[in-house]
Amino acid sequence: MILRETAWRVFAGELNNSTLEERGAEEKSPNYVISPLGAPINRVLIAGVLLEKENRGTDDDPLWSGRIQDASGNFFINVGRYQPAASVAMADLETPSYVAVVGKVRTYARDDGRVMVTVRPERIEEIDEETRRLWMLSTARATWERLLDMKKAIGGASIEDLVEGGMDRDGAEAIHYALEYYGNPDSTRYLNMIQNSLRALLPDEQIDLGLPEKIYGGEDEIVIDGPDERGSSEEEKEIIMRLIGELEGGGKDGADRESLEREAAKHGIAPVRVEELSNELMDEGQVYEPSLGYLKRV
Amino acid sequence: MKGNELTPHVEELKRVLGKKVSEEDIRAELDNFVNRFGVDVENAKKAIVRKLGDEGVSFITADAVKKKIGDLTGNEQSVDITAKVVFGESKDVTVRGQPKTIFSGILGDDTGTASFTVWEGEGVELETGAVYEFRNAYTRLWNERVQINVGNRGTIEASKERIETVPYSGGEPVDAKIGDLREGMGSVNVTGKVIDVERREITVRGEPRVVFSGKMADDTGNVQFSAWEDFGLVEGRTYTVSNAYVRAWRGIPQLNMGDRASVEEADADFGDAVGGPTESTISEIIAVGGGIDVSVTGVVVDVRQGSGLIQRCPECNRAILNGECVSHGTVEPVLDLRLKLVLDDGTGAMNVHVGRELTEKLTGVTLDAAVGLAKARGDPEAASRGMAGKVIIKQMKATGNVLSDEFGPMMIAREAEFLEIDIDAEAKKLLSEMEATI
Repeated sequence: MILRETAWRVFAGELNNSTLEERGAEEKSPNYVISPLGAPINRVLIAGVLLEKENRGTDDDPLWSGRIQDASGNFFINVGRYQPAASVAMADLETPSYVAVVGKVRTYARDDGRVMVTVRPERIEEIDEETRRLWMLSTARATWERLLDMKKAIGGASIEDLVEGGMDRDGAEAIHYALEYYGNPDSTRYLNMIQNSLRALLPDEQIDLGLPEKIYGGEDEIVIDGPDERGSSEEEKEIIMRLIGELEGGGKDGADRESLEREAAKHGIAPVRVEELSNELMDEGQVYEPSLGYLKRV
Repeated sequence: MKGNELTPHVEELKRVLGKKVSEEDIRAELDNFVNRFGVDVENAKKAIVRKLGDEGVSFITADAVKKKIGDLTGNEQSVDITAKVVFGESKDVTVRGQPKTIFSGILGDDTGTASFTVWEGEGVELETGAVYEFRNAYTRLWNERVQINVGNRGTIEASKERIETVPYSGGEPVDAKIGDLREGMGSVNVTGKVIDVERREITVRGEPRVVFSGKMADDTGNVQFSAWEDFGLVEGRTYTVSNAYVRAWRGIPQLNMGDRASVEEADADFGDAVGGPTESTISEIIAVGGGIDVSVTGVVVDVRQGSGLIQRCPECNRAILNGECVSHGTVEPVLDLRLKLVLDDGTGAMNVHVGRELTEKLTGVTLDAAVGLAKARGDPEAASRGMAGKVIIKQMKATGNVLSDEFGPMMIAREAEFLEIDIDAEAKKLLSEMEATI
């Protein structure tokens, strides 16, 4: 029996941080990326604002790429000739618009060896505000449940224990793979994603989960590592601004993201953090993106 | 590996190779493979059978091992089992488009029970209660239960062995809730309310038989049952059924009350509400294999080929393309609407087939309107694309029976509707859950 892979509801911030791959042993068996929260992901259901789209192919043989933003970061999508339904839809979509994507995750290793995650849509559809809110809600809940499952594993639950508790075996194994490979997840980061979504969903509520603080006393707590990122954020932004300045040189394209991330890494700033910082800088109006994958100071 | 460690493997090879090869030769070969060339025993045995064996001796026989049912792992490529037939019947099925007769049922020994299938079942008649030797069988795991398969390499012989302690007869039957019933359970005790029951006269292997069949429910789900005796079941009453067994039809578990079963009226009260659709997640359905009258809520993540405005053969009602039926040639097609959706709830994905009336309700496009649009545009696909656009990425609740086939679970929708979800309320619920935990 061939089971269709389920579409994981996952925020960009979790998906893009996934660097652990599990390739199927046989030619046709599916590949997975295992997220830091232990989701074995082959297919995703994602939603957000289509910020950019670009046809890197020709009119006759289009090769669309695009960037979709959710509350936690950006999804990068690529649509080629083998995704006819999505390709037709891409041509008609406007930016910005709310879209939902059902697609397969693809990974590639860059020169620096880092694994990049992109999504190859099977379906991309314009959605209404309500559908986007519903996706945010279900993804927030799914992320929360993954955190709780992770906590059980950190607290000592074995694969067998998790299966006993009703989880399927692949999922239970993936949680343990993730723990082995990534170590304990930075729960503050994921709780923040959920909090941001809840704030967007319930603008009239004063939502403060009191982050970052340890969730739980006792032995089975999720260890929250690292200092509060926000403290050093101004300093990091300065570095990013300086690097963009150096990299954009005289050209009109600006600094390409890949070089920026490479340079930032030398200053101890992780690529995901670069994305967060550049998003903040864009929100503040200090930088903009003249074309997909390039940043320029205003 | 020392000589005495080789002995059981030499014995096994002797059995496979017969009298043509002397024990000394076998031992020398095995010693050569294992001790001189460092080949592992299993591969050495295969190689020796191929080297010394007659043509026609399949090398797979070489690693046939004898196992008890309770020791099967579901990965056996070749295994010999001596077991009693708890239940068996021949069935006509379609395998990859070819009609085929199989013989399937449940086997038991003193360690457990498992379902079995003889794939070349033409002319196979295994007597219920009799003990047989199943040689060169292979096993698979299905829903975490072992299935025994006898393929074209396998053989079945009557055995003189007596097996008295099969759990279904002498051992302890298992108490189970209806929602936990799984194919291959050889002996279960179940308490449930009879939702409906009907007396039917059917033919089993040429013999007329009377069967009382219907639906039973408890607070965990619904199940179809067949009572092969008249237990006097009355609709609306609650019974405890002891020593029943579970068979599956296309993944749907069915509770069978055979001649060993007993039925008693029970005090349990499941209320009037039971018997309705069971809310379920897709991973739960996949674990069981199917079910009757289940409700699933998820997102429509794909609308598959063959959705929208379709043609059917007027003779056989099959979906056809361009007025050509594979069985009836060129026909005047009957137009119809349907949707083949993929519903995904985050725990799994499932195909959902939606018939014309529901399709019209969901898409707001009637058959007449779709035909009109197709004609106006000169493009039958135009209507179908528009209809797909009405359902894709929508939140849907679908209810119906779920079967399993080689493409996984598939629901024939009896009811389907888009869901209005109170996002604010659900978000507040999540928030308070988090506040309580953090």
